[in-house]
Amino acid sequence: MDDAVTRSYEKQAESLMGALAGTDELRAQAIKDFAAQGFPHAKAEDWRYSDLRALRAEAFEPATHAGEKPEIPAAMTECAARFVFVNGRFSESRSDMGDLWQAASVRPLANHFMANPDRATELVRGRDGVGLLNTALVKDGMVISIPAGVEIDDPVEIIHIMTNAADCAAHTRHIVELGEGASAHIVERFIGDDLAYWTNSVLQARVAEKAVLHHTRLQEEGMNALHTSKTHVNVDADGQYHATCLSLGGKMARFEAHVRMMVDGANATVDGVALTGTGQSHDTLTHISHSMPHTTSDQIFRTVADTRGKSSFQGKVTVEKDAQKVEADQSFKALVFDRTAEANAKPELEIFADDVKCSHGATVGELDEKAIFYLTSRGIDPKTARQMLVEAFTAEALERVENDDIRTAMTAKVNAWMAARASK
Amino acid sequence: MLKIKDLHVSVAEKEIIKGLSLEINAGETHAIMGLNGAGKSTLANTIAGRDDYDVTAGTIEFDGKDLMDMEPHERVAAGLFLGFQYPVEIPGVSNLNFMRTALNSVRKMRGEEEMSAAEFMKLIREKAKDLGMDPEMLKRFVNVGFSGGEKKRNEMVQMAVLDPKLAVLDETDSGLDIDALKIVAEGINAQRRDDTAVLLITHYQRLLSYVQPDYVHVMIDGLIVKSGGKELALELEEKGYADVA
Repeated sequence: MDDAVTRSYEKQAESLMGALAGTDELRAQAIKDFAAQGFPHAKAEDWRYSDLRALRAEAFEPATHAGEKPEIPAAMTECAARFVFVNGRFSESRSDMGDLWQAASVRPLANHFMANPDRATELVRGRDGVGLLNTALVKDGMVISIPAGVEIDDPVEIIHIMTNAADCAAHTRHIVELGEGASAHIVERFIGDDLAYWTNSVLQARVAEKAVLHHTRLQEEGMNALHTSKTHVNVDADGQYHATCLSLGGKMARFEAHVRMMVDGANATVDGVALTGTGQSHDTLTHISHSMPHTTSDQIFRTVADTRGKSSFQGKVTVEKDAQKVEADQSFKALVFDRTAEANAKPELEIFADDVKCSHGATVGELDEKAIFYLTSRGIDPKTARQMLVEAFTAEALERVENDDIRTAMTAKVNAWMAARASK
Repeated sequence: MLKIKDLHVSVAEKEIIKGLSLEINAGETHAIMGLNGAGKSTLANTIAGRDDYDVTAGTIEFDGKDLMDMEPHERVAAGLFLGFQYPVEIPGVSNLNFMRTALNSVRKMRGEEEMSAAEFMKLIREKAKDLGMDPEMLKRFVNVGFSGGEKKRNEMVQMAVLDPKLAVLDETDSGLDIDALKIVAEGINAQRRDDTAVLLITHYQRLLSYVQPDYVHVMIDGLIVKSGGKELALELEEKGYADVA
């Protein structure tokens, strides 16, 4: 990698010293590790489907936020609160705190560490260059702590907007903590303009005993954007984590979900839909590790790739030696519209226990011409017929979004995406 | 209503229909009988507009309009219906959503107002009841997990909802037990009016005992070789295709 790129990031990290109380040491170590290993190599197994050449070529500057007046997208449903981040910085004036603060502790990252400098060690440090850089360059994020027993019914939206930030990056970090028996629905949205910016976001969550965290992600970055985001979740006994991700935007977009099932009875579902248009690349990597017995996970991913689109799914499930009676399922199906579209699937099971039920399946295919003719032979025009089939194809992966309004909005986005395919 | 003149159709560059002519008027029911491979299904699919069937010569007119100028969905709006020999399973799309989208699409093309969800539910429940279909099946995905008979019954419900001028029914009787056959036949008979026509495509005489055609045509190797009244079907059953033709 270009030394100038490394030097630029070292300088950025240096300038952030003192920005978040207690984190300097961690930041220094992260940038040191980054300088040593750089961005993941194209040949690194986990990164083989993600093209990081743009990241290696030049350093992305810190995004500024002064004077920008982006349009805030309408809420999809009644929200308990909406937190808006413009170019990576929390914008209090654009946010709506609702009455969430009455039931839960909600504050920006800087305030959180100012009050608890000792908690800096809880930041997930990251292992690869992208994750390390988030730790080295993080400045802002939201910390949401839901106390034991508190159920927040309406979703909490975190909206990331990138605007007028060409060649700039935003490294946000959100921390979500659910106490025993608590529940919440976090909705993350990513939007931006057509400039070549980089979103590098991490959300880390801890789901305590019997707590339920729903996590919905809508990735609608601009078409020239780079998007890398990681979710790190630890689930305790009888806790549940349910994630659904809809990926639409970005020139190169990568989403990673790392979920650790820490105690008996933990359950996780990680689902997603990626709709990949011409020249786009969507890469999803999941790693669900079952370290304890009687933990369960299920993953449903559906991708649709148009002409010269590329969608990839790498799903890894690890079952530790003593984690008996684990059930882990994984289903990946890809649709490609023609031969220039690409779909990659790499399911990976690492099982060290002997009494487990694990399954995975992966298929790649084109839209069923017989089904299209059947629909058109009943009076449905071919474009609507294809739309119906794509909606049906993706529906299974959106089914577990527990909020009806949000699920309906996501389905509408799938249909709008299909409606925009002129020739399909 | 339907005028087919000197029709030639190729599938994958192999000629299947070799100069077939047929005229069907309002108020008539025709049956085309023939062995497997005679080109019966090819004819049905060509009328419906399947795009891998190439019409190399001849014309098909429907109500005075050239059918070849119309896309399959436009043919439905014009009043055509094809009952499939092998109805297609569509996972993820419910019968109700499918039929409501279809009906409203047809109404829109005809310049009519879309039907409200309540009106539509009333209509399809009524049609399903007439054809002995469990209303619960309307909520299920199109044909997924349906038995052969249930699939054919579903075709009849779709026909009843769309109320076509001309119904082309491709082997609608195959795979049906006698009770289902009677119900399907009732559905077809209900569709026979002065202003509609039905074209039955079948292997066997069985269905024709319940739906008595006005005309019977024998199709062999891509051509209609003989036409007659309903007695021709009985003759075929008795003597076999080789002797009759």
